[in-house]
Amino acid sequence: MTTSKELSIALTGNPNCGKSSLFNVLTGAHQKVGNFPGVTIEKYEGYLDYRGYRIKVVDLPGTYSLTPYSPEEIVTRKYLIEHRPDVVVNVIEGPNIERSLLLTTQLMEMEVDFLVALNMMDEVEERGMKINTRQLQKLLGCHIVPTSAKKRTGLESLLDHVIRVGTGDITIQKNKLFFRSGLEEPINEISELLAAERELAAYNSRWLAIKLLESDREVYREIQRQPAWVKAEVVMQAALKDARRLYGSDPEELISEDRHSFIRGAMKECVELPKEKRTSLTDYIDMVVLNRVLGLPVFLFVVWAVFHFTFTLGAPVMEWLSSLFSMLAVAGGRYLPDGMVRSILLDGVLAGVGGVLVFLPNIVLLFIGLSFLEASGYMARAAFVIDRVMHRFGLHGKSFIPMITGFGCSIPAIMATRTLKSRTDRLATIMIIPFMSCGAKLPVYVLLCGAFFAPSMAANILFGIYLLGIAVGLWTAWILKSTVLSSDSEPFVMELPPYRWPTLGSVVFQAKVKALMYVKKAGTLILAAVVIIWVASNYPRSAVIEADLQRSRAAVEADAGLGAAEKEDRLSALEQSAQSEQLAHSLAGRAGMLMEPVIRPLGFDWRIGIALVTGLAAKEVVVSTMATIYSLSSDTDTGDLQATLRSDPAFNRATALSLMVFVLLYLPCVAALGVMKKEVGRWKPVLLYSAYSLAVAWVLSFIAYRGALLFL
Amino acid sequence: MRLSELQVGDKAEVTGLNVDAAIRRRIMDMGLIKGTRFKVLRVAPLGDPMEIFFKGLYLTMRKSEADGIMVERSGGVGDGMPMHTGARRRYGFGGGR
Repeated sequence: MTTSKELSIALTGNPNCGKSSLFNVLTGAHQKVGNFPGVTIEKYEGYLDYRGYRIKVVDLPGTYSLTPYSPEEIVTRKYLIEHRPDVVVNVIEGPNIERSLLLTTQLMEMEVDFLVALNMMDEVEERGMKINTRQLQKLLGCHIVPTSAKKRTGLESLLDHVIRVGTGDITIQKNKLFFRSGLEEPINEISELLAAERELAAYNSRWLAIKLLESDREVYREIQRQPAWVKAEVVMQAALKDARRLYGSDPEELISEDRHSFIRGAMKECVELPKEKRTSLTDYIDMVVLNRVLGLPVFLFVVWAVFHFTFTLGAPVMEWLSSLFSMLAVAGGRYLPDGMVRSILLDGVLAGVGGVLVFLPNIVLLFIGLSFLEASGYMARAAFVIDRVMHRFGLHGKSFIPMITGFGCSIPAIMATRTLKSRTDRLATIMIIPFMSCGAKLPVYVLLCGAFFAPSMAANILFGIYLLGIAVGLWTAWILKSTVLSSDSEPFVMELPPYRWPTLGSVVFQAKVKALMYVKKAGTLILAAVVIIWVASNYPRSAVIEADLQRSRAAVEADAGLGAAEKEDRLSALEQSAQSEQLAHSLAGRAGMLMEPVIRPLGFDWRIGIALVTGLAAKEVVVSTMATIYSLSSDTDTGDLQATLRSDPAFNRATALSLMVFVLLYLPCVAALGVMKKEVGRWKPVLLYSAYSLAVAWVLSFIAYRGALLFL
Repeated sequence: MRLSELQVGDKAEVTGLNVDAAIRRRIMDMGLIKGTRFKVLRVAPLGDPMEIFFKGLYLTMRKSEADGIMVERSGGVGDGMPMHTGARRRYGFGGGR
């Protein structure tokens, strides 16, 4: 069988209409995910071979309509116009056919070659609904194929019809949808004017005319540049006036009403709803889940469950991964010759790769959890329950789950903001996530709280630090949303989809997509940054320190008056102090020392400065760097380091408090910055954010330090 | 009357949309146009977004958005009983007095 003949099809449909399941069933393993240009909407493409045709399938984002207000709708419309797929498959959610037909009417207006896949037929039958598809076909002027992605029925018939439409065997009957008098005439008139315009040949002129009367800004912009606009405008103005005079309303509303009355007519003629209305499962579940008293506890429980699923289940895998990498390092050490190359490869690059991959378990688990919530229908309800609180800070209800995930790790949390549709809502949410104290910062708090505060006090301080993070985050959101990001918040007009049991395939697919995206897109950036920080904290190496170490080592070895155990101790002490000196000598060390005048007012000396610089690789590194600087071997337990810190005159309770605040708020780790850049798309917001977080960290640490000096 | 002023359980019909263009578009696309009858299902636990039901669709919106949707109340909890005062009362069932 040859596959020389190609067909391209695009799937359109409402959100939650089973479009993605259909896409998965059709294309199976032949899928790839990209982005639509300029937006962070994922573009799913795949192909299948059927009866000698290679059918390329694009799954367009779910939309209710084709107006230019939401990014999904703009993307869908643009794709249909610019890429002109051979066949558009309009997936309709059978049980909710009335609502789904709005998009169909707009495809009819565009006069694209389309057919309807009447999906979820199994559910339609179960409910006792009857749909007269023959009659509906006549009304819509296109073919309708009943399908069920879940039960895998009707798929062959769908593909057969796709081929017939694609090859011109079936033609779409046009002009099935008319508007009321007072609208129809100007539409025809404008349409004729525009049809003469050669530059607009790519568009359907009737569609353009309808869009003009709907005052669609994108079409408006396009038409305004054409000579025909002069005449068209006159007609349009007259139509606007007429509409007001005749119907007391503007054409946009009238057109919308006419579409809906067309749909209502079609429903009356073709669809028979079951006689008795029984309370659906969704109603019963919502009575509990959205209950005024139980709603909030249920919500908190779900968030807690997702959080634990992600981070508790992820922890052993993470540990297993990092031990795998240290095993690799040990194994590699045997085969590579000693020297700089080995050190860079094993301690730098391999550790860097490990640093990238270590986040994978969390990303995969979080997205399994989130896509389960999304596909089951709870995600929209979660936003409904918590929106009041989030809206007060200018955020959307959907910002909550990414924000909470930030307490585990910023990286999956930042990636999770994709559920937010509006660009400004997303940006604001991304910017507050790093203030949520992530798991890697905890070791720093444990070290400092343990060293300087009584256990009873330590818990309160820890709690206070977490609260401070939330407060700074929400404050930041509020500032952002009331200044630079004030425009175009997503209106909270949201459907609560009926509850459905998600298919395993689509949940796993989502997690796979996110994992690959992280590794491919952010992985290289993070790897580079981790390696750079590693090099900076190890190079340049001072030959003088090295020579000193050799000399004193030889002296100890030669000292006959020492026992074997004592020798061992002396040697490791020497080794550690040399390491500490090397760190001070390295680029990171010098940066730390250069920073000293700046961080002096916060109570930090150059040693803390170095720890803060290396902490950019990952926040928990702050602890191990401090151990190195204080000449402790890297495998000392925290108790020793705590004792050392306590005995250091430069360190006191105020410094500890100030350092905790600073670690909480200053720049997130490079991995988070890398993901941030990938999600935002540009460097500028990320750099501005970095400057902002440093400033906030400095000011609040200063207040904490001075306050603590006064009161403690 | 505004949609935001309705109580849980009330039934009403949309009479006009006085909201921003983008929100109006969204509301109309959802099928909430002049003449649509709906029921107020519930208010979120914290009192803000509200949920209404019409044509098989569960739609939520913030009260600030519901503020711009003009409605005429046509019934309340219970059912079928017209709860209007004034002229329409004459057509009510059973409400003898």
